Amino acid sequence: MTGFRRYVVRRLLLLAFVVWCILSIMFVLFQLLPGDPTAIFVDDNFSPEMIDRQKQLWGLNDPLWVQYLRYVGNMLTFDFGNSFFQIEPVAHIMADKVQNTCLMIVPALIVSVVLGTLIGAVAGWRRGSAFEQATVATSLFLHSVPSFFVGILALMIFAYQLRWLPSGGMVGLGGPEGLWEMIASRDYWVHLLLPGLVLVSREITGPILLLRSSMLEVKGSDFLDILRAKGLSEHRIITHATRNALLPLVTYVAVMTGLLFQGQVLLEIIFAWPGIGRELVQALNDLDYPVAQAALYVMALVTLLLNLVADLLYGVIDPRVTYD
Amino acid sequence: MADVKAPVRPALAGPLREAAVAVARHASGLRVILRHRTATVGLAIIVLFIAAAVLAPLLAPYGPFEVVYGPDRGVVRLSPPGAANWLGTTNQGMDVLSQLLWGARVALAVGLLSALGSVLLGTLIGLVSGYFGGWIDEVLMRLTDVAYGVPFLPFAMVVTSIAKPSLALVILLVIFFLWRTTARVIRSQVLSLKTRPFVWAARAAGAGHGKILFLHIAPNVLPLSFLYIAIGVQTGVMLEAALSFLGFGDPHVQSWGIMLNAAFQAGAMRSAWWWVLPPGLALSAFVMSIFMLTRAYEEILNPRLKAI
Repeated sequence: MTGFRRYVVRRLLLLAFVVWCILSIMFVLFQLLPGDPTAIFVDDNFSPEMIDRQKQLWGLNDPLWVQYLRYVGNMLTFDFGNSFFQIEPVAHIMADKVQNTCLMIVPALIVSVVLGTLIGAVAGWRRGSAFEQATVATSLFLHSVPSFFVGILALMIFAYQLRWLPSGGMVGLGGPEGLWEMIASRDYWVHLLLPGLVLVSREITGPILLLRSSMLEVKGSDFLDILRAKGLSEHRIITHATRNALLPLVTYVAVMTGLLFQGQVLLEIIFAWPGIGRELVQALNDLDYPVAQAALYVMALVTLLLNLVADLLYGVIDPRVTYD
Repeated sequence: MADVKAPVRPALAGPLREAAVAVARHASGLRVILRHRTATVGLAIIVLFIAAAVLAPLLAPYGPFEVVYGPDRGVVRLSPPGAANWLGTTNQGMDVLSQLLWGARVALAVGLLSALGSVLLGTLIGLVSGYFGGWIDEVLMRLTDVAYGVPFLPFAMVVTSIAKPSLALVILLVIFFLWRTTARVIRSQVLSLKTRPFVWAARAAGAGHGKILFLHIAPNVLPLSFLYIAIGVQTGVMLEAALSFLGFGDPHVQSWGIMLNAAFQAGAMRSAWWWVLPPGLALSAFVMSIFMLTRAYEEILNPRLKAI
């Protein structure tokens, strides 16, 4: 177990290093902005003293390294300051938007993983069947077609042509507000259906293809022969085999969630879903830099943490992995 | 993963012969790919796109930003497909077909440049990192970890909105995003290659690090690099389209992503399908054709992927 502990420590140090690097890259990037933040507020009516007082207040007159240290400290404690335009601390906005993004991707992920596992397991078990061929071909197609175009198509057909579903947003005007109220409301699910299905159509291909190939591997194992010798039904044997084939899926899901968190900006824009990606796009268009900075940081952090989870789970769930 | 074969008597063969052997091996690889049905279809579509890109000045009836005027000298806005404009016009009166053809040029340029750049960079880093090991490996691999930690689309949006958006910047960003995968894969290949007898033989024959690395090890990882060039073209085109669609592309070129962005902003999804579908379908067909090719390549290397 000591080997594992050493691995965990090393992995955490690496995480800290990468976070520090990303924070530093971001600091340099936002330093490169033309003008300083006062430029956005200040108009000709401001006297030089007023500008200076404002700069003093924001610490812009301090030496760069002091600003850097303060910046890193603030970022690490999630103190993102105030938005230039929305009268709210950025940290609150971020919490809100992360929740909204999760409201789109978590249901889609659950459906993708559960359904994908089932389909992939059966496809792998029935190697060479028409079902396997159809599954693999469909998965590869869905995997390679750009999902934002699928989103646009879905919107054109189901929202604009057929008018079956709303064209965007998370709830309708005057819809439910609180988290649980929303989840309990029909309105939210109706709005989720279209972006959710588009997301599933892409994300389901990962578990399907993965489960299929890992099933092929498990299928040749000796323990299945023993089960067969015990006289278990085909159905029970598939269950046993699937449980073993699931191992690589656990880490895959963690990584996939991280990538999805940053990659679904496109769907949030297409379906006007008020998530963190859309917030970043709007903040950049409005020059609301505290919000943009925080959104970029939060998206990077979520991905990094999920990758960490994936790496650590790998050793925990599969006892065959050693770290010595 | 790859079927890397140690070349026969590498220490004795001259560099020219070495190169000839490598080329012959890849040529036979192409023949194997052409036996694959999906790969052939993919290749045919790619050739079609290349032809469209090269012949765009001859084929396109209008320039990428040229406004179409009707017989009454008025701008032809949002005209549905017809004899005059085969794929209709945009809200600014530009010919969709022409934009589509010019867009193929941009897609090809972005795809090729970003793929070549990233694979060159990634292969170099992977080779050096895997071959020398030690602190060089440590530094380069931590750099790779950092590159993996940067979320591409958000990061690229921030950079392009701080700097002036240009196609060159988009290509650089894609390279920055893509090299890391190649670097890791090539490095792991080199780790196993450098312990093979032919490397010892080369060393015993007095070859220096540079010679061993570039003449003896590099040719063996080239098939993988080629695979990543193809994957890079696909990813590069996708990323440029995504970035442009979000409104962070170069407004001075007409790419499929820029077209989709303009159509989306103008609400063409409601009213002008002929403006939305062509760029979307072109992008999908292009990306998928390359995917078909790379998938076939991977299936040849690893038959287990195939559904028989």
